[in-house]
Amino acid sequence: MYFEEALLSEIESGPKIQLVFDGHSIIAEAGASLLQAWAAAGLPLIENVGCMGQGVCGACRVLVRRKGERLAGTALACEMQVEDGMQASFVDHFPARRPHAYDLHALTDSWTALDQIDAVFPEAKNCRHCSGCDRACPKGIEVQNMVNLAAAGQAFAAAALFDHCVMCNLCVAACPEHIDPAHLGQFVRRMNAAITLRPADLITRLREIDQGRQPIDFEAPGANPPFES
Amino acid sequence: MSGGIPHAEALAAWRARTPAQPQALALPVPELLKRFHPDRQPGSMVPLRVGASAGLPCRAELATLLQSDSLVEDVDIAAAPMLDADVLVIGGGGAGCVAALTAARAGARVILATKLRLGDSNTVMAEGGIQAAVGAEDSLQRHFEDTLRAGHFTANKELVAALVSDGPAVIRWLIQEGMSFDLAEGSERIGGNLLRKKPGGATAARLLSYRDFTGLEMMRALREAVLLQPGITLLDRHPSLELLTDDRGRCAGAALHDLSLGRTVLARAGATVLATGGAGRLHIAGFPTSNHYGATADGLVLAYRLGAALREVDSFQYHPTGIAWPPHMEGQLVSEAARASGAALVNGLGERFVDELETRDVVASAILREMAEGRGVARGNSLGVFLDTPGLEREKPGILGKSLVTLTHLAHRAGFDAAAEPFLICPTLHYQNGGVAIDPDGWSGVPGLLCAGEVTGGLHGRNRMMGNALLELVAFGRRAGRSAAANARAERPRNIGLTHLADWRRALIAQGLPLTSKAPVIFPPYGNFDMATQRGRAA
Repeated sequence: MYFEEALLSEIESGPKIQLVFDGHSIIAEAGASLLQAWAAAGLPLIENVGCMGQGVCGACRVLVRRKGERLAGTALACEMQVEDGMQASFVDHFPARRPHAYDLHALTDSWTALDQIDAVFPEAKNCRHCSGCDRACPKGIEVQNMVNLAAAGQAFAAAALFDHCVMCNLCVAACPEHIDPAHLGQFVRRMNAAITLRPADLITRLREIDQGRQPIDFEAPGANPPFES
Repeated sequence: MSGGIPHAEALAAWRARTPAQPQALALPVPELLKRFHPDRQPGSMVPLRVGASAGLPCRAELATLLQSDSLVEDVDIAAAPMLDADVLVIGGGGAGCVAALTAARAGARVILATKLRLGDSNTVMAEGGIQAAVGAEDSLQRHFEDTLRAGHFTANKELVAALVSDGPAVIRWLIQEGMSFDLAEGSERIGGNLLRKKPGGATAARLLSYRDFTGLEMMRALREAVLLQPGITLLDRHPSLELLTDDRGRCAGAALHDLSLGRTVLARAGATVLATGGAGRLHIAGFPTSNHYGATADGLVLAYRLGAALREVDSFQYHPTGIAWPPHMEGQLVSEAARASGAALVNGLGERFVDELETRDVVASAILREMAEGRGVARGNSLGVFLDTPGLEREKPGILGKSLVTLTHLAHRAGFDAAAEPFLICPTLHYQNGGVAIDPDGWSGVPGLLCAGEVTGGLHGRNRMMGNALLELVAFGRRAGRSAAANARAERPRNIGLTHLADWRRALIAQGLPLTSKAPVIFPPYGNFDMATQRGRAA
């Protein structure tokens, strides 16, 4: 298969990189992502994988320590390239232990937005400003700032900060107060859209459809192939 | 593939000739497609020999999987624990989430089983947007006709009518689930207008979006909704090995495999919704793919073995601009927005060779022609042509930083500056146009079995329009979820098992097909895990 051959031939031709991944000492090709190095080393890839490089699904979370560094940091394995002497390990996915339950459809009164945030995420006001969530985020989101803004009821500002969240949940793992920042971020984002987005063009078209003023004609000339072809 | 012009030499040629002059295609389109489109190459298609669609032309790699034997025997399910639900949804992408939500809200007890993790799917990777005819100058009829024309008039009209009619209501539903959409410049959140762009092949601006990560925004909202919805039991890391049948031939659920414990679990259900997505990770015709890791055609294999009919399984979409270099990003998509904004395609001689705004199949074939005839650009082991982003930046200063943000980030991650150096690109396997034939309620024709999303066929004909995939997965996820919930308690399955396999194996043997080939494959070969022999291992 072309794809595998490309991977293998690259390994044969390129400079060699040695690293330790989940306890396996592996040799990788320079320029490979951690995820590709794992697969090319013949190790089974059956979890912690999703979009394979686009960096949008947050599935391939790893702890990475570079040569000479003392602390390990978080990253996405599909985005992080291998380096000599690197140590990496997957961080398995786990769902939040205590889901902060709410029914979005029941949140209809925007006067009580602050109460609603506080009722669903009561821990948010207990943020101890440790910045653990900020350090955990592989996308560089100001997670702690979002938590503080949400706790102060500034829903739009909080939601804007979470624009690039990829749902990796590393901030959930990092938070000692069990705030579940990733889910708080989605809560304020979803609430904003559900409560305040009311496009006039969409509403107009929906009304036309309800009134039967948007019929579909199967026999219209444009719905059938032109004669010649 | 033959060799190309070395990268340094090609860069010099590109610099010397920039800006390259527009060049019409030297070959008539039918001949170009015949000689260079991957689906038209000799040996690429074979007629199916067994099953409900015997005789239908099918991509050879896919046909091998469709006409293979099951991963499970009676002995594998004999002592397996049994779960029970009204509705079983297989697949945790967009269509699966929407179907599960809809069924649960209609009162059904739902199991959602997914191979990887909830949300890991092609949905989350979608960039461009979702079509819905909301513009004053636009209409459902125009959306209907545009979709049929783009699919070369091979789509099922009833399905397309259902799709476009649902469009505006789908957008309202998504907003109610907490998904945001871009607004037109200067528009207010209440009483404003949605930002609309014109997708390729459309007669009106109809593409709604959230920045250039519409799919991520959609999947975030859907994922939270599923996690919070009472009545849905979520099973991550539970791929389906085989559908179950009762003694009347009705689909009765599925044999799932619990990857973390390495054992089989049965999920019994009154109705089963297959929402397993596409097939990019089969690397059809040897192409890299823009698809996510789980896109291995599992649903097509399972549905076909149970007797569902397929259509247009000989039609795939190759997106012209996938990344060719660096190898660790191979196959990833460079958005069509680059060409739509005016970026040229340039071969190793510094020449343009096709109108860049032609349809995807024509542009992809033209690129493959340059590569096959020695005018491609070779860099390391990669071969492709240039996408002239520096030329675009020179013509429209600031465009890379302002409106092509994702593209600029992509170049940054690849280690170069898109304003100084062109991308090396080659076509990438993007979408499965065909799939399981369904009716407008999502039924597959097999009692108890529904399908939704990319696994289905008939909506896109032989070519899908940009923005219709996201619309499809919500529109038909809702339809399938609704039908499943309404039907699930009508007839409870009884005497369930693998009764369909005896006939299937007889048919394979009668055709001289080997029983040694097992499917679905679940993971691509470079996943280093053979479900047929290694699945007993806990991991």
